[in-house]
Amino acid sequence: MINKYLQIYKECIKVSFATASTYRVNFLLSNFILLVSNILFPLVTVMIYGSGASFPNWSFYEVLLIQAIFTMSAGLAQILFNGVLWATMRYVIDGSLEIVLIKPVDSLFYLIASTISLESLGLLLGGGIMFILAIVNVGAITLLMWLQFIVLFLSGLLVMMGTSLIMAATSFKWVGNSRIPEIFDSINTFGKYPQSIFNKATSSFTAFVIPVAMVGYFPAAALLGKVNLSMYVAIIPCILFTMIGILLYKHMIHLYEGVGG
Amino acid sequence: MNYIKHKLEVIKAVSLVTYKEWSAYRTHSMVSIFVGPVYFIVQYFIWTAVYSGRSELNGMQLSQMITYFGVTALIGYLTMDFADWNLQMLVRTGKFLTFALRPIHHRFFALSQKIGHRILGFFFEFLPCLAIFIFVFKVNMMPVSFGLTILSIALAFLMNFYLNYIIGLTAFWLVQSSSIRRVFQLLLSIFSGGLIPLVFFPLPLQKLLFFLPFQYVSYVPAMVFTGQYKLANLTMTIPQIVGVQTIAVVVTALLSEVVYRASMKRFTGVGA
Repeated sequence: MINKYLQIYKECIKVSFATASTYRVNFLLSNFILLVSNILFPLVTVMIYGSGASFPNWSFYEVLLIQAIFTMSAGLAQILFNGVLWATMRYVIDGSLEIVLIKPVDSLFYLIASTISLESLGLLLGGGIMFILAIVNVGAITLLMWLQFIVLFLSGLLVMMGTSLIMAATSFKWVGNSRIPEIFDSINTFGKYPQSIFNKATSSFTAFVIPVAMVGYFPAAALLGKVNLSMYVAIIPCILFTMIGILLYKHMIHLYEGVGG
Repeated sequence: MNYIKHKLEVIKAVSLVTYKEWSAYRTHSMVSIFVGPVYFIVQYFIWTAVYSGRSELNGMQLSQMITYFGVTALIGYLTMDFADWNLQMLVRTGKFLTFALRPIHHRFFALSQKIGHRILGFFFEFLPCLAIFIFVFKVNMMPVSFGLTILSIALAFLMNFYLNYIIGLTAFWLVQSSSIRRVFQLLLSIFSGGLIPLVFFPLPLQKLLFFLPFQYVSYVPAMVFTGQYKLANLTMTIPQIVGVQTIAVVVTALLSEVVYRASMKRFTGVGA
């Protein structure tokens, strides 16, 4: 059973590479634009520090590290999960999700696998460049810090997956609304900055309710030696958040009527 | 006189139809009622932290900065435009032919559509967010000069439209102009002042930005609202900068006509 699913996933990755190589000019241009636009993403931070101001108790490279990790996580999520939203939206509008439902595999798995998109590699690469730039300027990082980082980064990736699935589930009811991602993007913005700039209620919300702090801030804190127990506790809501996403999506498939809209 | 009356009737008819058409998707517009205030809250925390222990940064006080971000969000709802996307789609699919046959300039038709679309934005995005900024966040939303602010926003509305229209016209040469659209939107989002006031940019870049059209879409109307304009160490009175903005809009409109005429020579009506 697992072998079958691994085989399908492998095939889907192959198809994704084949698609990218067929439209290679578009692929390269899209990735280049994403790369450039994401190198410009920390522009506000650059301008703030360039003006001689700062976030209290945070150096420029420490803030850049948070934003680099956030970008890498967003890049991976775009490649691995985000296609589900657009595919679901299209199927629901057309009333053609049956094409997926009749396949002898788990529908959610198939949708995730078949919508892998390499067009966001530029996002991952842009984040990676910023990450290297920040890492070499923030001081020594021990092996334990790297391990803590990996655990928290993967938890953040779970949040991104949960977000993608909740967005996709929403599109079953809110048919054809291409602005759904804006809602979640706006909430995600809280994860791009040091949580110390927010008040207690906001930082608790971003750590334990919609745990976007796990996407950028907590993994960066691990590399900076600022990790604490509450950050590990926040892994639990990350797992719950992803489970809610999966269950909600499956529930919406159950309610799907196939009439289009 | 009859000519103007006829034009106004066309604007009224097209904008009304567009308004009705998009009213079916008004909940899409209402996403802004959530998104706008959330982004504003983030900006509030960012700048409150950055200003801690400071009274002024690049000539702007914290209260001015907070107002600036509220105003730029609201201006965005009034000037939002996607004429570039519409036009490139019409060219790519060959549907532009139906507009070429009509006794009305396509640009005028697209502008009338935008008016209808943004009237919808006024009711379902601008007014609710304005109420939230005033009554929930207690932001001062009273412009220094009411008349000049409205004029400046109207000019920003036209500037955004003409710029996007010119970008859309590139489809006559490129057919698939999505990449150039993305590059332009990226530049516009940064250099219009939507992310950060332009006085935070390095001085040489500020000097360059003064001669580019981006500032007239967001930065200028926001500064007209606050009652003081400064860029590249150049300070202007509000009537002066609105005058410069008017000239910039007229030049851009003329440029769009020049590009439109060149485009028509390439039009085949076949699509791609």
